[in-house]
Amino acid sequence: METILSVNHLNVTYVNKSRRVMAVRDVSLSINKGDSLGIVGESGSGKSTLAMALLRLHPKGTEITGEAMFEGKNLLTISEKEMNELRWVKLAVVFQKAMNALSPVHRIRQQIEDIYRVHYPKASSAEIRERAMELLKLVNLPPRVYNLYPHEMSGGMLQRVAIAISLLHHPQLLIFDEATTALDVVTQGQILREIVEMEKTLSTTRIMITHDMSVVATTCNKVAVMYAGELMEYGMVTDVLTHPHHPYTQGLQRSFPSLKGDNRKLESIPGFLPDLSKPCQGCVFAPRCPHATERCFSQKPPMFKTGESGGAACWLCEGEENGK
Amino acid sequence: MENNAYVEIRGLQKFYPHKDGKIFRKPGEEKPLVKAVDGVSLSIQRGEILGVIGESGCGKSTLGRLLVRLEDPTSGDVLIDGVSTAQMLKKDPKHFRRQVQIVFQNPFDTFTPRDTIQKILLRPLKHHNIGKDTEERLEIIRKALEAGGLRPAEDIMSRYPHELSGGQLQRISIIRAMFLNPGFIIADEPVSMLDVSVRAEIINMLLDLARNHNAALVFISHDIALTRYISDNIAVMYLGRIVEYGSADEVIRNPQHPYTRALISNCASVDPFETREEINIEGEPPTPINPGPGCYFAPRCYMATEECFQKYPEPVDLGNGHYAVCSKVNCAACGKCNPSNSNA
Repeated sequence: METILSVNHLNVTYVNKSRRVMAVRDVSLSINKGDSLGIVGESGSGKSTLAMALLRLHPKGTEITGEAMFEGKNLLTISEKEMNELRWVKLAVVFQKAMNALSPVHRIRQQIEDIYRVHYPKASSAEIRERAMELLKLVNLPPRVYNLYPHEMSGGMLQRVAIAISLLHHPQLLIFDEATTALDVVTQGQILREIVEMEKTLSTTRIMITHDMSVVATTCNKVAVMYAGELMEYGMVTDVLTHPHHPYTQGLQRSFPSLKGDNRKLESIPGFLPDLSKPCQGCVFAPRCPHATERCFSQKPPMFKTGESGGAACWLCEGEENGK
Repeated sequence: MENNAYVEIRGLQKFYPHKDGKIFRKPGEEKPLVKAVDGVSLSIQRGEILGVIGESGCGKSTLGRLLVRLEDPTSGDVLIDGVSTAQMLKKDPKHFRRQVQIVFQNPFDTFTPRDTIQKILLRPLKHHNIGKDTEERLEIIRKALEAGGLRPAEDIMSRYPHELSGGQLQRISIIRAMFLNPGFIIADEPVSMLDVSVRAEIINMLLDLARNHNAALVFISHDIALTRYISDNIAVMYLGRIVEYGSADEVIRNPQHPYTRALISNCASVDPFETREEINIEGEPPTPINPGPGCYFAPRCYMATEECFQKYPEPVDLGNGHYAVCSKVNCAACGKCNPSNSNA
């Protein structure tokens, strides 16, 4: 399969006067065309930072090393002009709060036209309207939305508008940063279903950033689990969520109740996130890990292969890899 | 069942005036009302956990606030041990506050930022005269913190709220509520602000509270899987009214009201293999401004008929304490109903 994006040894460090916070540390992953990758992690795990770095939307003064190859270009080093050419056309993002992503003083029509004309300055209103109607239909919105202001719509409608706008220029890679978190259960369920449905007709690749494992379970085929800025485990959703290898993923899984299955006791992961401004020897999860050994505190585990397409950064998986 | 209930909610209603911006009205024209809670009747036993689920704006938080009397109901009453809380509050507010406690959603807003945890926790003890002197009270706090897994207690006590994590603060919030040994606790979305890995601690703490301290607990949440995990019984709310009530497993596994069905079918599950029926409900959640006269859910319901728009349906008894407020529950058309549960 064709790889659309490959991230190699990405480090993102936020710098301010007093300290350096290493928000993303040595993350490598690749996404194939047509995949839907869910990046899960708790708050502070660096999942949003990773996405912002890929889109080059991070604050000034942030140090980024490593590479992110997208269509033969390194997203991290190309010029701002080149990046602007990629935005919307090849890469698009949907944020958590569509209410804040849209301008409150312009009609949806105006906002869609503006974005369309960034890349096609000579496009006629009729042409844009036609494309917009197509997209609004795709996200199950009535055509009248085109002439509304954001305050005239509900949160679910706004989020749908944001998704429609992100699709305006047929992007190849779509990033959803907690795009459905702020919505109600029913609306979230519907939008997630629409996203999956939509992808059957459009050949987009999707990255879904969320803290909710159940969102990943219903809408993605691959998953990457992040903790404290590092990648803990990745693989197919069906493998990772049913037979997690990494103790952190196992812990996460035990802290989610099943909707209809049998009730098992919920367990939490004791301890706290480590201070990301301090360098970490060994495994970042070791202080909270029930299986940690001395080696875990002194030596950082590499990514061991688990199964056919998965991997877990844990010494426990070392033997497993050799065994296969 | 109603006779030995510890907490009894009787026809609780809360209407707010709707601010529609009109200054002048035609004579006789009534101000529109927002019916946040519109006739809720429930009963809760000691040691029972009642889960309340629903979308945002369905009135579940208002219900919580009414139960602790942070808001006065428009009509209806809450009885604890057969005594009206309205009277209890008038006669002996201290006693009432001691019996009913609430845990809020946002642990960062619950505590004064200017006081240490020790000072914050001493206050309720002093107010209710628990413990002889400060020494004894400090000992109570120390024990409670350690029992709640906050160790070392001395260290925690000397800290300010901003120095603690959300999970720790929420545990302190629960500990504070427990101090007074209340019989009735309301937890309003206690874990929605917390990270997944610490959520389970709080949930298990609440479970322990209800089981071992024999308290009645109302757990308000929009997280259906979590509510099912913690609750004995679940009430599903829609626009201020209970549309379905029953044991947690029964309501989630065998939902009868079309709204509950839609809610559960749209709830994402962690199990990638779980199959769900696909039910889409039309439109956006409406506002509770003068809804009715028919079933409030009818405009979005996939099996609504003419009759649904005429009259608000009566609750239908489905056996084993499972109720659904829908006129279509027993209709032959849906094919999923059990004919033996015919309406009396």
